Amino acid sequence: MLKMTHLQKVYRTHLIETYALRDFSINVAEGEFVAVTGPSGSGKTTFLNIAGLLEEFTGGSYLLDGVDVHGLDDNGRSRLRNEKIGFIFQGFNLIPDLNLFDNVDVPLRYRGYGAAERKRRIEEALGRVGLSSRMKHYPSELSGGQQQRVAIARALAGSPRLLLADEPTGNLDSLMARGVMELLEEINGQGTTIVMVTHDPELAARAHRNVHVIDGQVTDFDAESSPRHVDAGAPVAAIS
Amino acid sequence: MFAYYLQLGLRSLRRNPVLTALMVAGIALGIAASMTTLTVMHLMGSDPIPWKSDRLHYVQLDNWGPDQPYSEDGRPPDQVTYRDATALMAAGKADKQTAMFKVVLPVQPENTQLKPFRALGRATYADFFSMFEPPFKYGAAWNRDQDAGHARVIVLGKELNEKLFGGQDSSGRTVRMDGIDYRIVGVLDDWNLRIKYYDLTVGAFSSADEFYMPFTSGVDLKRRSSGNNSCWKSPGDGWDAYLQSDCVWIQMWAELDTPARLADYRSFLDSYVNEQKKLGRFARPLNNRLLDVNQWMRDQKVVSRDVQVQTGLAFAFLLVCLINTVGLLLAKFTRKSGEIGLRRALGASRREVFTQFFIESGVIGLSGGVLGLMLTALGLMTVRALYTSYKTVAHLDWAMVAATVVLAVVSALLAGLYPTWRACRVQPAAQLKL
Amino acid sequence: MEIRPILSALLRSKVSMILIGLQVALTLAIVCNALFIIGQRFERMQRPSGMNETDTFAVSSVGFGEGFDVRAVQAADLALLRRLPGVVAATSINSTPLSGSGWSSGVQLTAEQKTQSANAAFYMVDDHGLDALGAKLIAGRNFLPTEVGIRTLDETVAPASIIISQALAKSLFPGESAVGKQIYIDDPQTTPKATIVGVVERLQTPWVNDGYADIENSLIQPQMLVIGTASQYLIRAEPGRRDEVMKAVETQLAAANPSRIVGKLRDMEAQRRDAYANDRAMAIILGAVIIALLAITALGIVGMASFWVAQRTRQIGTRRALGATRGDILRYFQTENFIITTLGLILGSILAYALSLWMMQAYQSPRLPWHYVPIGFLCLWALGQIAVLGPALRASRVPPAVATRTL
Repeated sequence: MLKMTHLQKVYRTHLIETYALRDFSINVAEGEFVAVTGPSGSGKTTFLNIAGLLEEFTGGSYLLDGVDVHGLDDNGRSRLRNEKIGFIFQGFNLIPDLNLFDNVDVPLRYRGYGAAERKRRIEEALGRVGLSSRMKHYPSELSGGQQQRVAIARALAGSPRLLLADEPTGNLDSLMARGVMELLEEINGQGTTIVMVTHDPELAARAHRNVHVIDGQVTDFDAESSPRHVDAGAPVAAIS
Repeated sequence: MFAYYLQLGLRSLRRNPVLTALMVAGIALGIAASMTTLTVMHLMGSDPIPWKSDRLHYVQLDNWGPDQPYSEDGRPPDQVTYRDATALMAAGKADKQTAMFKVVLPVQPENTQLKPFRALGRATYADFFSMFEPPFKYGAAWNRDQDAGHARVIVLGKELNEKLFGGQDSSGRTVRMDGIDYRIVGVLDDWNLRIKYYDLTVGAFSSADEFYMPFTSGVDLKRRSSGNNSCWKSPGDGWDAYLQSDCVWIQMWAELDTPARLADYRSFLDSYVNEQKKLGRFARPLNNRLLDVNQWMRDQKVVSRDVQVQTGLAFAFLLVCLINTVGLLLAKFTRKSGEIGLRRALGASRREVFTQFFIESGVIGLSGGVLGLMLTALGLMTVRALYTSYKTVAHLDWAMVAATVVLAVVSALLAGLYPTWRACRVQPAAQLKL
Repeated sequence: MEIRPILSALLRSKVSMILIGLQVALTLAIVCNALFIIGQRFERMQRPSGMNETDTFAVSSVGFGEGFDVRAVQAADLALLRRLPGVVAATSINSTPLSGSGWSSGVQLTAEQKTQSANAAFYMVDDHGLDALGAKLIAGRNFLPTEVGIRTLDETVAPASIIISQALAKSLFPGESAVGKQIYIDDPQTTPKATIVGVVERLQTPWVNDGYADIENSLIQPQMLVIGTASQYLIRAEPGRRDEVMKAVETQLAAANPSRIVGKLRDMEAQRRDAYANDRAMAIILGAVIIALLAITALGIVGMASFWVAQRTRQIGTRRALGATRGDILRYFQTENFIITTLGLILGSILAYALSLWMMQAYQSPRLPWHYVPIGFLCLWALGQIAVLGPALRASRVPPAVATRTL
């Protein structure tokens, strides 16, 4: 589903080069629920940005669902992102001026679906996160947990193959966090691949597999929890 | 605290120079446009002789023909006939009174270096000088006896005296006009006359008179007035027939020092016209008017339609500029809601936040006012170039300078009111990330 | 494009939208009416005088001192002028079109009628008059040298023959030929009728300002007007030689007789500029207001749009993360501007007509023609799109990674 090999990301200024990722390799199979952990500044977010096609990388290769994303232009990446990836952000990133229905509608608009199709998908997605009754509400009228549920509904509405979650419970209290986590597990159970960046060990423990990143490199992975649907051999994280 | 807020305001304005420049330029443009037109309108419409404008009255009688009114809106003729002017002068029922008309005469200078030239003057009565109060530099006006005696005397305007005598005291000397020598009795000083309000029939902004001579000796020349002449029927042949005709070509003013005198003069005019009706004149219904200086200026539309439209548009423009400033200030202040939250969390009261941002708006207004003042001067220069006749009314005076700055600051404060109110509604620490 | 969600987002931030909308509305109302006034002024300024203005100029002379024989001087002057090289024609004339001062009077068809049939400006010229004016005779004939008389203010000598303008002919004799007809041009009790011998296509009265109706009602008499010692001449030069002829005329007239003052020479082009100076000034001032207004409105849109982009950076990043292309973001801001502008324009069109209605009542100005408002719509739409382009392009360049940035 997601395969990065010897991936490298360098930020260059005229004085110094900073490696955000160096020789980063990871392989996430279809249906997996992977948690990427690591301390602040380790390169987790850079990994997520590159995985989600929000940023380009400077070396190595990245196959997303079999598509080599290297060399895609900005529009191509936007389209791929729209079709294959759903995002869940730490700060929810709901658009405050739009009600829930319109918020979930945003990616569907870019997908170019017709009105009826969009409506069906929005209702279904909001139904899945249990917020069907609040479609006309605005984000500011919801609790943090509810807002994150809307964000999840927005991520699901386009039926992505891959869900990228960035500290999905980082802004939530533990009760709400548990609810969101259960929802993610349920979604994964229905077949969607999830890659979650977090530094919460409790959260990470609930994933099938943990990938630990330090200084832009994968340092180890948790072999104990084996993925349910994985048929290939163990994903590789090589060290240079 | 004020100094602190001022400092904060200035620093904040320096931080987004482009946005600040936009706001200042917007206010300056709006202020300049409205102040330019307002100055012109203000000077055009302002009372030229405020201390006695309510006592000077322009006399109008309706001697027009029976079949057609002088004006469709019922206004009587804007001038009077020679017959009526001399009759009213002879009656002398007002405290002071003068009839007058415009003359243009060829001047033959003593100094042979100067070529003969035409000078524009006014034939009037001695009371003219005490009624309209032009300042004398040398000598004085002629007297009523000289009016009665058809004296060949003259009062020179400052410019004509400069031209003929190099600005020397020329009283007692003579000036030759069209072959006749006139004795100079007085020379005027600078007469700062923005509007030639005593004769609006040939344009309120026409050039000043270069000399003044007794009405009686002016009529002796048997020259028609250089001003307007209107007749409702043919005057007949010859000068005497013209003087006796119903053609109007003379302006008549009466000074009436109390309301009682005004009422008396009104009834005198009514009885005069009724007497004349018996002689077969004044076929139209009684329609006398005694407008004071300001009423007469309004009647003659001294402030033109164009100037009014321009002023209206300029203020609409200022409104747009203000709306623009409200928007930009709102943008600026909203962007600072983090700072406001922090200040509130650190103990600033709502009033203090309000003061801080209100002062920032005021600083913008003050800068806009100063820039606007310069643009106003530029605008008035343009008006002087475009309307050559408005030279006298397109000038900035101190009152207008002050008004410009005050208008700018008030406008900016007004524009800043809503954004400032919004700014101080920010909850303490609402914007702070925990 | 997604109009409904943009609109509902806009309705959540009403104040900014109202501010820009109001600005657009006021701009439309002012620009439409100001443009209309400018158009009217240009129309007025375009009106032809009916005479040759490029090659003609007028000069006046006033004598002084005893024994100044004005009639002899006039005859000598005209002879001198006509001899000058480069002069096509010269005439004595009482006033010229565009000069603002002249003689007008009522004319009537019968002696019995109490009101006048028409009002006309009177031009008094000699038999060279039509030629000097360059007026085009469309019926009848020019004056004969023998018809030219002397007119003083002391005795009314009615001319036997007159030439009138087509406009006056039409108002006096609608549907008929005026040539050969007779009218009273003076007091019917004391003077006989004059016969119309010719009609000129067009000749404006000296008064071009508003308030003077029947601007093309003119009447030409074959008379030399003598008022005191003053006289005035109109001279037509060969094409291209006017300025040269003017210099010659000025020196020669002054030299010909020392006991008179030769007035300032005025060419008719300068005369036209002066006559319409106020209209031109009004047009320039209104034009400047329009430009300043459009500039301020455009800058206002730039400022507000920049602010919105800055305020919504994260939202833009999120949209990008959710699959919006740069084009989608660009179009979002363009559509948003279009909606605001359109709402403002709708309000503005009401304001524009209200302003026009008010001007109709307060200043008797004509009604704003309907097409000004749609043209204003197009212009302000274009202005809005141009103004928003910069901020919208900046928005489209917001990187999608902004979405995952923690604030």
